[in-house]
Amino acid sequence: MFKNYFKIAWRNLWKHKLFSSINIISLAIGFSASFVIGLMVYYDLTFDKFHPDSELIYRVTTTFLSPDSESSNPGIPMPYIIEAQNNMSGVDIACGIHVANFLKVEDKENDKVFKNPEYIVYTNENYFKIFDYNWLAGSPEMALNTPNELVLTENRAKKYFPTLTPSEIIGKTLTYNDSIQTTVKGVVANFDERTDLIFEEFLSIETSKKTDQGSYILDPQWDNTSSSSQLFIKVSNPLMANAITKQFNALEIEHRSDWEKQYNRSKLFYLQPLSELHFNVELGIFDFSDRPADKSVMLGLGFIALFLLLLGVINFINLNTAQANQRAKEIGIRKTLGSSKKQLIFQFMGETFLLTLASAIISVILAYWLLNVFSDFTPIGLSFSLFKNPLIIGFAIILLVLVTILSGIYPALVLTQYKPISVLKNQVISQTGKPALRRFLTVFQFSIAQVFIISTILIAKQIHFMMNKDMGFKTDAIANVRTPWYNNSEEKQVRFAQELKKYPEITKIARGGRTPASLGTSTTTVTYINDNGNEIQTSLQMVRGTKDYIDLYGIELLAGRTTLNDTIQELVINETYLNVLGFKDPKDAIGKKIKRSDELYPIVGVVRDFNQRSLKDPINPLALVGNWDGAFFGVIHFAFTNSNDSSMSETISKIESAFKEIYPESDFEINFMDETVEQFYNQEKSLSKLLSWAMGLSVLISCLGLLGLVIYTTERRTKEIGIRKVLGASLKQLNVLLCKEFLILVGVAFVIAAPLAYYGLNNWLQEFAFKTSLSWWIFALSGLGMVLIALIIMSARTVSTAMKNPVNSLRTE
Amino acid sequence: MLLQLEGIFKWVNTGGRRIFLLKDIDLEVEEGEFISIMGPSGSGKSTLLNVIGMLDGFNEGEYNFLNEPVHQLKEKHRANLYKEYIGFVFQAYHLIDDLTVYENIETPLLYKKMKSSERKALVADMLDRFNIVGKKDLFPSQLSGGQQQLVGIARALISKPKLILADEPTGNLNSKQSLEIMELFKQLNEEGVTIIQATHSETNASYGKRIIHLLDGARDDYNK
Repeated sequence: MFKNYFKIAWRNLWKHKLFSSINIISLAIGFSASFVIGLMVYYDLTFDKFHPDSELIYRVTTTFLSPDSESSNPGIPMPYIIEAQNNMSGVDIACGIHVANFLKVEDKENDKVFKNPEYIVYTNENYFKIFDYNWLAGSPEMALNTPNELVLTENRAKKYFPTLTPSEIIGKTLTYNDSIQTTVKGVVANFDERTDLIFEEFLSIETSKKTDQGSYILDPQWDNTSSSSQLFIKVSNPLMANAITKQFNALEIEHRSDWEKQYNRSKLFYLQPLSELHFNVELGIFDFSDRPADKSVMLGLGFIALFLLLLGVINFINLNTAQANQRAKEIGIRKTLGSSKKQLIFQFMGETFLLTLASAIISVILAYWLLNVFSDFTPIGLSFSLFKNPLIIGFAIILLVLVTILSGIYPALVLTQYKPISVLKNQVISQTGKPALRRFLTVFQFSIAQVFIISTILIAKQIHFMMNKDMGFKTDAIANVRTPWYNNSEEKQVRFAQELKKYPEITKIARGGRTPASLGTSTTTVTYINDNGNEIQTSLQMVRGTKDYIDLYGIELLAGRTTLNDTIQELVINETYLNVLGFKDPKDAIGKKIKRSDELYPIVGVVRDFNQRSLKDPINPLALVGNWDGAFFGVIHFAFTNSNDSSMSETISKIESAFKEIYPESDFEINFMDETVEQFYNQEKSLSKLLSWAMGLSVLISCLGLLGLVIYTTERRTKEIGIRKVLGASLKQLNVLLCKEFLILVGVAFVIAAPLAYYGLNNWLQEFAFKTSLSWWIFALSGLGMVLIALIIMSARTVSTAMKNPVNSLRTE
Repeated sequence: MLLQLEGIFKWVNTGGRRIFLLKDIDLEVEEGEFISIMGPSGSGKSTLLNVIGMLDGFNEGEYNFLNEPVHQLKEKHRANLYKEYIGFVFQAYHLIDDLTVYENIETPLLYKKMKSSERKALVADMLDRFNIVGKKDLFPSQLSGGQQQLVGIARALISKPKLILADEPTGNLNSKQSLEIMELFKQLNEEGVTIIQATHSETNASYGKRIIHLLDGARDDYNK
């Protein structure tokens, strides 16, 4: 029986090759998108699930509240960590994790040096009580309770001591930054499963004494928060979470500083469950090279997969119900031969399953390729081999069955409703399901495709707008080199700048801080007391650079002058701050004094506004200042005489050799301003890429479906076309006749899609301080584009049908 | 008694008028009979056969098949009844184009949930008997009309029906092929199968032991 069904299904697929391939391709695209996205979701959902009692583990994070803003930090002031460890009810174990940075680690015994070791933390033995590691050597009780103790992971141990077994490593000495000697007390196995706790080396807390961080960690201050110092707790009962939060917030009220009280600021603490760690975009994870998963991005991707799958299902339903006539005879005969309706439905579902299975097999190959295309979106650790996971296979099978039922059940019902008597009398003419349903589904398909088209065009327009808008400073042929943060001095920086000045390829040079626009900011709170005695308090962004800096970047000076020298404490403010201060004329601000902490600084100049961040953000009050504290002028900015490509690489290598001479142990990296600006919009660019794909695929699937329907209708109307032709209809009239029905559907789809797209895109544009307009032509263009594509697809078929000799089509009747 | 029709009426309403397809048909068929139904086009021969074969319903009257009141049975029960006892032979053969000769003959057995080995034996017997073993892997389109009808009859016989309903079985065949098919029917009848055939041809009708004339949906046996 099964073999029989299978055989017939196979022959049927083979006989209608075109329709089968349309169905298979459409479904395969939907499947592969679902597989890839399902894989991503699975990957992200399976972080840190393996810890014993993982539902009892929380990270305590800080939210700063001020009258006009709110910001979060994954860290927490040190005293709270101590309180949590010592006297907080409901907290079983608490441990601070302090991310440490070292230049190098040395194995002096073997004279081996390892530069820039990563993922090192200061913590104590409690860490290993919260998180259960497999100890290959040493024991959790003996480790990290006295200064200068070290626990390594297996991976790190192998790197530092490639020839030794874990137990041989115990007692070995490693020296950090030349002076901190530590003794290895234990070796633990790395976690096999996915985790965000990627630490490789654990140092006892007191080891930090000899480092800069030590003052922070070992001298607890109630109002000092660093994202490097985080608190993890294990509670006795998840229901206690609220009570624990209350204890933290009570401590905060008790220890609020005078400064906070004066400016009405406060902190709130939040117990973040371990399971949320991987999804917290705002607070980030420990691994800077990877990024946390964004639930909203995952949701968006999920919708795209769902839509693509639905489009494929719709093609299947449309083509199979439209084609039902061709199967009618078989169904009629089978019924007279004694088949029940149930048996027939079963047979057709089997055929559908075979087709979906074929699509699924093809889609696995497609998915492999898609994973490469979308590597921007997929986390680094995500690989194709995850497909072997039984859970993923189970999910794929469920999806397969679901899609089979969804796409197969309606055509099966339509097909099997035929009365055998009418089939045998050749009376089936138009019982091919409800054409209204097919129209509805086609409209649905094209609406989705249309929304994707409109969105793709608008996002491209916005990106074009942001890349080409004048930011208020020059971005062409300007680059900068950051000098290293260690083994550096002002003298070296100046020497490097002097070296560069010798090259004729470089015209202007300025030492300074960040570029005029950058993703990082440093702000300070300043006050101005105006003539009426009112205090105007604002946060003021500082961009550090000298007189040359303003000139190099072509920032326009509206009034006053630039600072006299690099170290003088003067401010050059922008127009936005000028307006905040309440001046109409830039000249009026010159000479006024701004208070920061307890010192007064004069305004000596005003510059035209420029964008100090990406165009997503508005222009904020800003001041260009000099090198006040001696450490901020580590970036050398310079402009090229000409940005000719051929000579450029030569110039760059010259700059590099000058750099290497002064900083032999550091890596050279040159950043071009225009590339820096481009990087601001990486997120938008990858969104644009994703949408282009979604658009392309949805248009492809919808048009394949349309093609199928057109083929079916033209075939069905061959006789009508013949008669009309005999009666004198022209080729054009016939084409209009055949395409009209579908063009109306595409039109209706546009009417539905346009407002939806408008609403969604309008929302999206709100994220940008500087936005392009939602012009009418975007809609017109995408609507016309869709109609044009549909017309081309349809004409391919209708023209050939209309050109057929009517004698042939009429004779067959 | 194999089947009994009593006062069967069947009509359709077109434009407010009632058009009778079958009008007050009474018919009794004993097992082993060979009946020919004659009448001009549109006289209701096919409709009557379809009613007997339970493919089509009727509006009024009683129909008993092997003492089961067909007019009272549910669809499913009715299907079981004709699946078990009736075989159909059509003028246009109505073979399934996508199946081979072998598979076409086998199909009715699939719906009887028979074991594979049993099915094989039965189909092989049938192919043997009709001398079409060599053609078992061909598709209907590769056969002549006479051969297709042979397959159609073989398919009708495979489930060992008590009754064969043949609607103009030779309508699409030439006279030589017709003769062969009619001889076959005669032989089957002698083996005990009840046959009811609808036909235009006097010659073919004469194979029947009893002839029923139809005109405009009613029995017209007076001028016999």
